Parts: sequence; C-alpha cells; structure tokens
Amino acid sequence: MVFVQACLQQLPGAPGSAPEAGPSSKVERKYLAPVSKDVLRVKLPAPVEATLANGLTVLILEDHRLPTVSMRLHLGGAGGLYDPAHLPGLAGVTAEMLLEGTKSRASRKVAEEVESLGAHLAASARFGGDAAAINASGLSDNFDEWFALAADVLLHPVFPAEELERLKQRLKTQLRQQRASPSFLSGERFNRAVFGSHPAAVVSSTAEAIDALTPAQLAQWHRDRYAPQNAILGIAGDVRAADVIPKLNRWLAGWRRSEAKESLPAAPAPAKTRKVYLVDRPNSIQTTLVMGNIALDRAHPDYIPMTIMNRILGGGSAARLFLNLREEKGYTYGVYSSFAALRYPGPWRAGGDVRTEVTGGAMKEFFYELRRIREEKVSGRELEDAKRSVVAGFALSLEQPAQLLEFAIARKIYGLPADYWDNYPEKVMAVTADEVQRVARKYLDTETVQIVAVGNAGKIRAELEKYGPVELFDTEGRAIKAVPSPS
Amino acid sequence: MKRRSQYTLLAGLVSLSLAASSALPPGPASGGAGAAQPAVRPVRIPFTEFRLKNGLRVILSEDHSAPTYSICVTYNVGSRDEPKGQTGYAHLFEHMMFQGSDKVGKGEHFILVQTYGGRSNGTTNADRTNYFETLPANQLELGLFLEADRMRSLVINQANLDNQRHAVQEERRLRVDNQPYGQTYEVVIETAYDNFAYKHSTIGSMEDLNAATLDDAASFFKSYYSPSNAVLSLVGDFKAEEALGKVKKYFEEIPARPLRPAADISEPEQKGERRKTIEDAFAQRPRIDIVYKIPPGNTPDWLALEVLGRALMSGRSSRLYQKLVKEKEVAVEISGGAQERRGPSLFWVVVMARPGKELAEIERLIDEEIGIIENEPVAQWEMEKARMQWRSRHADQLRSTQSRAARLGHYAVYYDDPSLLNRLEERIGRVTPEDLRRVARSYLRKSNRTVVVTLPAPKAAQPAQ
Repeated sequence: MVFVQACLQQLPGAPGSAPEAGPSSKVERKYLAPVSKDVLRVKLPAPVEATLANGLTVLILEDHRLPTVSMRLHLGGAGGLYDPAHLPGLAGVTAEMLLEGTKSRASRKVAEEVESLGAHLAASARFGGDAAAINASGLSDNFDEWFALAADVLLHPVFPAEELERLKQRLKTQLRQQRASPSFLSGERFNRAVFGSHPAAVVSSTAEAIDALTPAQLAQWHRDRYAPQNAILGIAGDVRAADVIPKLNRWLAGWRRSEAKESLPAAPAPAKTRKVYLVDRPNSIQTTLVMGNIALDRAHPDYIPMTIMNRILGGGSAARLFLNLREEKGYTYGVYSSFAALRYPGPWRAGGDVRTEVTGGAMKEFFYELRRIREEKVSGRELEDAKRSVVAGFALSLEQPAQLLEFAIARKIYGLPADYWDNYPEKVMAVTADEVQRVARKYLDTETVQIVAVGNAGKIRAELEKYGPVELFDTEGRAIKAVPSPS
Repeated sequence: MKRRSQYTLLAGLVSLSLAASSALPPGPASGGAGAAQPAVRPVRIPFTEFRLKNGLRVILSEDHSAPTYSICVTYNVGSRDEPKGQTGYAHLFEHMMFQGSDKVGKGEHFILVQTYGGRSNGTTNADRTNYFETLPANQLELGLFLEADRMRSLVINQANLDNQRHAVQEERRLRVDNQPYGQTYEVVIETAYDNFAYKHSTIGSMEDLNAATLDDAASFFKSYYSPSNAVLSLVGDFKAEEALGKVKKYFEEIPARPLRPAADISEPEQKGERRKTIEDAFAQRPRIDIVYKIPPGNTPDWLALEVLGRALMSGRSSRLYQKLVKEKEVAVEISGGAQERRGPSLFWVVVMARPGKELAEIERLIDEEIGIIENEPVAQWEMEKARMQWRSRHADQLRSTQSRAARLGHYAVYYDDPSLLNRLEERIGRVTPEDLRRVARSYLRKSNRTVVVTLPAPKAAQPAQ
C-alpha cells in the first residue's frame, strides 16, 4: 500500500552484530550453520540486441514468468550534466514536461490513458547524470498501447506554456521543501566539495533558473539532444523480441538520426586537502555525516578490487562500519560506504546519521576504520567472505528481469567487453588482500578526505574542528561566518 | 522462447542446465472455451499448506525459474499487542531477533546471509512482525536453520538489549524526530483512534523504549514467538516434498508455548469530527491529513474504498490531483488511499499545500470532490484504471520470491487465508461504481473523520524566506 509514513508501519529491521572487544556486545561466530561451500554460479541470460535503422540500440530480455514488461530508454547526452551553467534544471524540466502534453494528447489525457492501462510512465534527467531516461512499465496484456504512449511523449511533446508555468510553481515549492531534509543538505554540500568546478557539483536548480526557462528552450533541448544514435532502449519481460523489433522500427520511424555527439566534460580530480563543511541545521537532533573524495570511473580496472574493499569496509550490515558504529557502539541506525563509478570518476563515500551527542565519537570511529583498511591487510576470512558474497549474490538477480537488463545496459553505457559479466565472477574471486589494501590506500586518503556534517553547529563544531578548518553554511546553502545564537 | 539460464557450482563439480519453467502454471488453457480474444493471463501462485505438530503453519510454493528461494516467518504479533507503557516493544524485539541464538553468534545471522549471497531483514507493523531471507537455492538449509534456531532459543541479554535500544532510538530520530512531518503520522493515529492498540505508533516512544527491561523482552518472546503463533512460507527452487522434510527437521521439535490472548482492536463509533493543528520545526509548507475511519482490510467495503482511493488520489489522472494540483494550483502533492489493517482501518487524504494558499479552501475542494463521488457514478475508465493498476501492482509484487513469501504470510496471518493472494484480483474486479457511491456515503463523512494540519513552525532564528 502506498502510504503516508509507510516507514512507521513497516520498520525495516535490525541487522546486526559487533566486532572486537567492547563493553557492550561482541560479534561472535559459532560456525554451526549448515552451509553449502559451493558457490552457485550463474550465467546471466544475454538479451537480444538490435540496432534500428535510425541508430537506436535495442536490448530485449524475454521473461515470460509474469504478464508484465518494463522498459527504459536511456538518452545519452540529455542529462543534467550538460545543463548550461546559468540554467541548472533545463534537462530535468525538459524530461518532466514530456508528459505534460503532446501534439495529439493534453497532459490530462496522457495521464488518463497511461493509468487506465495500469501502466507507469515517467521521464527524468538527474543532476550530474549524463543521460535522460524514460521509464515505463505495465502489463503485457496491453504493452502495445502503453508503449505507444511512451513513444508519443518521446517524439511529439509540445511543452505547453501554461503547463510549464504550473510545473515551475510546483518545482519552486519543492526547492524549499528539500532544504528541510538533512540528506539533501549533506548531498548538496558533498557534491560541491568533491566535484568542485565539475558540473556534477550541482544537485539542484534555483528559483531564478526555473523562472528563466521557456518552452522554446525545452523544445530546443529536446530537438538537439534526444538523439536515437546516442540512446539505448531496453525492454524486459513478457514480450517476444521477434515481434517487438519490427514494431519498434515502425513506432519509432519518426525519430531521426542526428549529428549530435556526446562529449563528456573534463574528468573531475580528487580534492587535495582535507576540509570540513558544516551545515547548521539548528533544530537537528542527529548529525548527518558524509565523507569521501573522487575515486574512479566504471571502466577502471580497480573497479572490482574496489567493490571487494567496499564490501568489507561498509557495504552492508556485515561490514566493519556497521558492526563497529552500530552494533558495538550503538551510535546510529545504520552506517555504510559506497562508491559511484560512472562514465566519469565519481566519489567514494562513507556516512550515516548519528545522534548529536556522539558526533565526535562517530568521527573517531570512521577515521579508525578508514585507517585500518589502509594500514592493515584484511584477513583471509573477511576477504573470502566478501568475494563469495558478491559472486553468490548474482543468483538473486535472476529473479528480476529488470535487474538483468540493467547489467546489459551498463555494459553498453560503460563500454565493457561483451563477455564482461561472464568473466566477472572469476575476476572477483581473483582479488587478493594486497589489492584490497592497494585500492584502499590509493582512494581512501584520510589526508585529503572531504567531510560534510549537517546538524546543530553550535553543539558539534568543536568536534569537527579536530579534523580540519571548518567552513560553515546555513540550510539555504550560503556560507556564514558564525552560528546564529538561538532566539 | 523461454529464457534459459545455466548455473554451475564454482567448486566445478556440478553443472546444471535449467529450462526455466514458468513460475506460474499456464492457468486454465489460455484461449479455452469461449475465449474470444487473447486471454488475459491470470496471475496465480500455486502453493500447498501443512501444519506441524507444534502448530506451525507451513506454506510451500515451488518455482524453478531461478536458482533461488525465500523463507519468511510471519509472527502474529505487532505493535497493537503493546500495552500502555510498552510502546515500541514489538519492533525493539524484532531487532533482538538478530542478536544471536543457541547456535548463531551475535551478528552471525547477517554475516552468514551476506556471505552466502543472500539478503535478509525483518519488519514490524501494527498487525504482524515478519523475518525473511532470500538465498541461492543450494543454501536451503541455512535459511531454515537461522529461522528455527531463533524461534527455539533466542539469546536475550542486557548488553544486546541496551545496544539495540540505542539502534532503535536512532531509527526513531532518523525517521521521525529529525524529519519534516515526522511526527504527523503519530498525531493522526493518536487523534483518530480511541483504542490504544492502534492509537500508538509502531516505533514507540523514547520513554517506553528506555524503560524496556530484560524481563520484558523475555516475556515478549515467551508470549508471542511460539511456533503455533507463526506462519512459515517458503517460495522458490526446491522440491516441496524434500523441503517439507527439512522444515520438519528444523522446526517440529520446537515446543509450542501458551499464547497471550489476542489484543482487542475494536473501536467505538466515532461521533464527530476531530481536529488538531501542530507546528513542525522542519516543515517548509503546510500539510493537511484527513483520515476517515473505515472497516478492516479484505471486507467488501474496504475493497470498494481501495478502488475509490485510486480514483481520487492515484496518479496524475486522479480527481484530487487534477483539481487541487493542476486546476486550482493550491497543492503540490496528493497522496493517500485505503490503509490495510486487520482491524478498523483508515482512509487517508494527504495534501501538501502550496505556501500561502487557504487551507480551508483546500478542505472545501476535497469535500466537493467526495460529494461528487457520492452523487455521480465513477466513470468506466476510472474503474478500469483501478482494476488494471491492481493487476499490475499485484504482478510486480509476485516478481521476487521474497515478496511472494511475504504476501503468503501476510494473508495467512491477517485473514487466515493465503489463497487470497490468488483471489483478490477477481474480487477487486467485481467492485462497481454503485459500491463506491455507497462507501463514500457511509464512511467519508465529516463526523467520521480526523483532520490534522501540520504548519511550519515560525522560524525566528532562520533567514527570511
């Protein structure tokens, strides 16, 4: 049930366990569980691939278990990464406006037709993303009908001025609301810190930019950047590739190849000195901590050892950060690490929300874990467990055709070799403790790490100053000199 | 062509080739007698049921289309069973279930599941608590062992209790106390319900969480975590007969314990509108929650209200979105619908207002739209929309073995009838426009509702807007 505060009715539960000594509780392994030592290795099904006359790459993964189909159209070159500097949000607003009216259907008609088919249709272009996307899903009963609607919004949007005005009002209200969210505030500051002058530093529009957008700008963005030769259409589910491909040639015949080429901005470089950014959110009772720096892109050979290193450090509830900060110390509901490897180098990050009073203690443990994985070789057992976990977990993706399709689309987007997923398990199993340490040393540099904290600055500033010069911001994103005294 | 997948064991000895069979049986031969047009495939999950000697209800559903399985144990206990002074205990206890048992060390549960390629979690709501694992098919015994061991022999000690109390309190801060509108939900249910069972939130109060003792936890386990108070559902790539043998091996010797009587969840009839206004330090714009008291899930009236909720609030084609967001531009977001509970439920209308708009005007427009439903039949396309959305969502929910296992457990514990999983689609399809009119008139009355307005707190110390 879609619900208000669904979180209160469905509280995702507690994983858990704790490491090393400590006054509280300790992780303990009894080794009494009946487990198969064999790793169930799966070969991912390969989608049918085709290129349409207009240059569009098509990937189709048949799966007839349930009468449903999902599709994703990846529109390379049309993402927020390419927003003009003075118009952040142009790519995103263009995508959102696709559904607000076509040559033959008004906004309301699009919604009524899509929803009465039981389908979902959405278009988006994220900030920092290199692509826009049209996502749709629904029943195979009426796939042709809802696909036709997706094609209509792709090919024939008209960007009606009155709908744009309404959307602007809603977007400006959302701009305000997001400033209430600690995760938005930390993400905004973190991206600024690690990306610097790279366009992925921008995570949100501004009221001025939204006001400045015109239907003509959107139409031009659509005309220039929604180009079939730069796009990938993935379809997964209860369809027959042999039936669908000829239909696609017909349905998308009006989509003409263009000269548009995508060229990525110069890659971002890691920040060189450690800095602390503190966003003062006066009523906060938790501190949202995020720390990290630019690491690597998706095609980098370090990707696989980095995956294993991350699994050990913070990639889940059996990882070191979770076991230490939650299960041993009880500072938080959850702490994790991750890394974003894209077509350009993205950041690794570690973080979590901790109660205000233990901000200093949490920082100490984050740094302890970052230093530990750099300075000490991981144990044979931790390494084997992490590798096994990644390889064995592949079997679960076979339940989800949309997930399998994502693997195939990722291979195309990142230019990975055709047999990449077939060889992936071997490559994972070959990672050594030395390699884990090497990538930790290379990327998780505590001397240059960028630290963001969102919380009650009056209470936590002193703790954060131990880690470097603190730059202070308000929730509006403006640099401030001092913490305002509470009224 | 059926999808084919191959999987081999890394140890290199076994190589299996798998002709993916359908997760779902073909159903009545499609295009059978009288089928004029391409038949719409019914979405049905085959399953069989057993009861062990100790009362544990076992539901098995074979599906060989992926080399995976899920186990879900749904306990017939939720926050509704908590008395005053013990709010949050059901959920705190759910956390304790991950802290180790006789043969599983503290923290080992998640290490084992993750190491062997699986996923695991637990969730608590007002009406039930569930625990689930999804694992590769060759680890069938692992899931059974983990669930059986903690059902039999949970270890409850002070260090773990204190530790998880902190984790849960941080969860409350993260989701409720440090978020905009975080407290609205609690205020709404506190105001709308009279019976304490549903009147308090699942996350519970900081005070009660602080007060939880070791004895409380032990007594909670004894009273509710008996095999006779649980449903085990197992879905995926196994042979039912073999699996049942293993289920018996791990679970049948766990003794049943006497149960605490089920909570009284009855509600007196509401005799007048209730209103409350709260201030929220994090909110940036006003929000209105209007909730009407409605019958429990899986009743004919509830099903009609579920359809009505879609016509009013589901998606951009919905009446309230079109009226409030598009036409009048007084709101930026609409959400809500019929909440499903085992006892008296709530029908929610949630509106995020545009700053500076008259809230009374928003309420008036909502009343007007409800008035239209009471007086004019809902259009055919809206009925079709509800039916198709339901079918589509239902199929999505059956995609993963985990969700299938959870749904089977849900219907078994909520309504004592797992076959509802296969029957609700048809029942939703039978709802008529006349039903919608009837339930709108019966339940969406002012005297049967609670209105909570959440306003941004004045921001003295913050920069001007």
